[in-house]
Amino acid sequence: MNNKKLLHKTTNSFLLFAVLLLLIAAPVFYYICQWLYIYETDEVLLFHKEAFVSESHNNYTQDDIAAWNKYNQNVSIVADMGVTKDSIVGKMLFEPEANEEEPFRILYAPVDINGKRYTYIEKRNLVEMEGMVVSVAAMFLFIIIILLTGIIWISKRLAEKIWKPFYNTLGQIQDFEIDKNNPPNFIPTDIDEFDRLNKSLERLIEKNTAIYKNQREFVENAAHELQTPLALFQTKIDTLLQLDLTREQSELVGSLNKDVSRLNRLNKNLLLLSKIDNEIYLEQETIIVNEYIEKHLDFFIEQAQAKNLTISTNFNSILSIKGNKAMAEVLLNNLFLNAIRHNIKNGIIEIVTKNNSLKFINTGAEIPLIEQTIFNRFSKLNPSSQGNGLGLAIIKKICDISHWNIRYSFENNRHTFEVTF
Amino acid sequence: MKILIIEDEREISQSIKDYFKTNGIQCETAENYNLALSKIGSYDYDCILLDLMLPDGDGFEILKELKSKNKTEGVIIISAKENLETRLEGFNLGADDYLTKPFHLAELLVRMQALIRRKNFKGSNSIIFNEIVVDIFSKTVTVNDTKLDLTKKELDLLLFLIGNENKVLSKSAIAEHLSGDMADMLDNHDFIYAHIKNLKKKLTQAGGGDYIKTIYGLGYKWENE
Repeated sequence: MNNKKLLHKTTNSFLLFAVLLLLIAAPVFYYICQWLYIYETDEVLLFHKEAFVSESHNNYTQDDIAAWNKYNQNVSIVADMGVTKDSIVGKMLFEPEANEEEPFRILYAPVDINGKRYTYIEKRNLVEMEGMVVSVAAMFLFIIIILLTGIIWISKRLAEKIWKPFYNTLGQIQDFEIDKNNPPNFIPTDIDEFDRLNKSLERLIEKNTAIYKNQREFVENAAHELQTPLALFQTKIDTLLQLDLTREQSELVGSLNKDVSRLNRLNKNLLLLSKIDNEIYLEQETIIVNEYIEKHLDFFIEQAQAKNLTISTNFNSILSIKGNKAMAEVLLNNLFLNAIRHNIKNGIIEIVTKNNSLKFINTGAEIPLIEQTIFNRFSKLNPSSQGNGLGLAIIKKICDISHWNIRYSFENNRHTFEVTF
Repeated sequence: MKILIIEDEREISQSIKDYFKTNGIQCETAENYNLALSKIGSYDYDCILLDLMLPDGDGFEILKELKSKNKTEGVIIISAKENLETRLEGFNLGADDYLTKPFHLAELLVRMQALIRRKNFKGSNSIIFNEIVVDIFSKTVTVNDTKLDLTKKELDLLLFLIGNENKVLSKSAIAEHLSGDMADMLDNHDFIYAHIKNLKKKLTQAGGGDYIKTIYGLGYKWENE
């Protein structure tokens, strides 16, 4: 959807109204002015005729009429043309002074002079009307335009002022992140609605932050509390191992031991996640990614041996990043082990550095993972796999707090995780 | 050898005690801060295992107490707290090692042995098991005076096995020992099989005894034939 700004929306309505008003009002105004002028002209014509009749020219002789006609340019008395009542018509007539045709109003009226019927003709030029109507219309337009721009400008300024607290609130809400410790600080406002909005938001944020903190602490505390029973579990199994066990018992204890290892790992990863949440690791230093990978390559090759994986590195650039060392190492280890864990027998892993990005490309299941959910906690493609579903969540979290970007893609049956630093 | 276990979970201290007993280590326990202080005041130990969270006091205070009394016992902190700050503070106050709960008893044992070796260092520093001699300092292993060519991991493994003589070691305990910080992320411990196989081969080829026994379904055991 094409979103408009609130202020533009009101201004746009005003503008639309103004344009419509001008478009409709201008011709209407013009025609009304014209009609009024013509009406007035006709009145004047009839008035002149009334005056002519009442000033008793009844005794005019034939000669008088000829003289009248001679000296009066606009009024002429002619022999009866068969006109029975006053009639006024508009006509274009040639005006010798201007040397062109101009609009006229002409009155034809029957008059009786010396008992004889004549026709009274009077014409009036409408040229001056044209000029007047145009200038009146122009003035009218000018005033309307000034009025409208004034209204728009004032309403815009006013709206800007009125909506200022709203935009302030909006900006702060936009920057707000529940996992960062930056509660918004709304500016006080004397507009009731905005004040209510701010207060409601404050309450909402406060409540949610409390819930969020509570939940985070719960995970952390639960993981911490689990460590002692887990320690008991582990030491007892270690003790149990030393007893003289039958084959059957050995198998049971062996699998119990595997379970407790898995529990330990899960718990450690949960602790790590909540630790990242609390951002305990803040110290920043420079880490050379290539060096770290090369240094620990033997360890990973060893881990990959069971699947007979081929690991190759393709370092196009020396990747020197700024960040927390412990976190960066956890990230790299997790990426590497992830590529091993989800690989297939005789698969490959390729590690590529280019510019400021690091890619882990590996073979694996021949279907793409679902990008939206892979980074969620406990989202596992294969529920029976030994992974605990936290590896990618940890990777994502570390990238988030370090402001790095992680992307997953699937191409030619190869899974790629790319971190851009 | 006598050690003091300062730990409020009796079952954990009891497990440690049982596990260490067969290695000739005499364990005393203290479940709380005050008892620990009085024991430290009255006796000397070869090593102290210290839990930081005690019901009536802070484990760090015990470290300070040891320092103020000029006691030279080696201290291994065993704690559920796992973060850099506590670790560093522990080392600053004179602790020698730090082990996060949960841990393998085998791991605790070799760490303690290493610590005592360091503390009691008198000229030579070698571990002798029949015909096998491991020089900790130069990191060399000889079998009947023939030098073995071991990788770092194999040497590590050998020390872990000898240190836990006659004990069944689970694969996970060995894997976690060998992979150090990375251990928390590993979900497959089969890689140790290759190391065990290689070490076994190198030892027997040099004329050493076949001390590494495979315990079905569980792991391995270093056993004098």
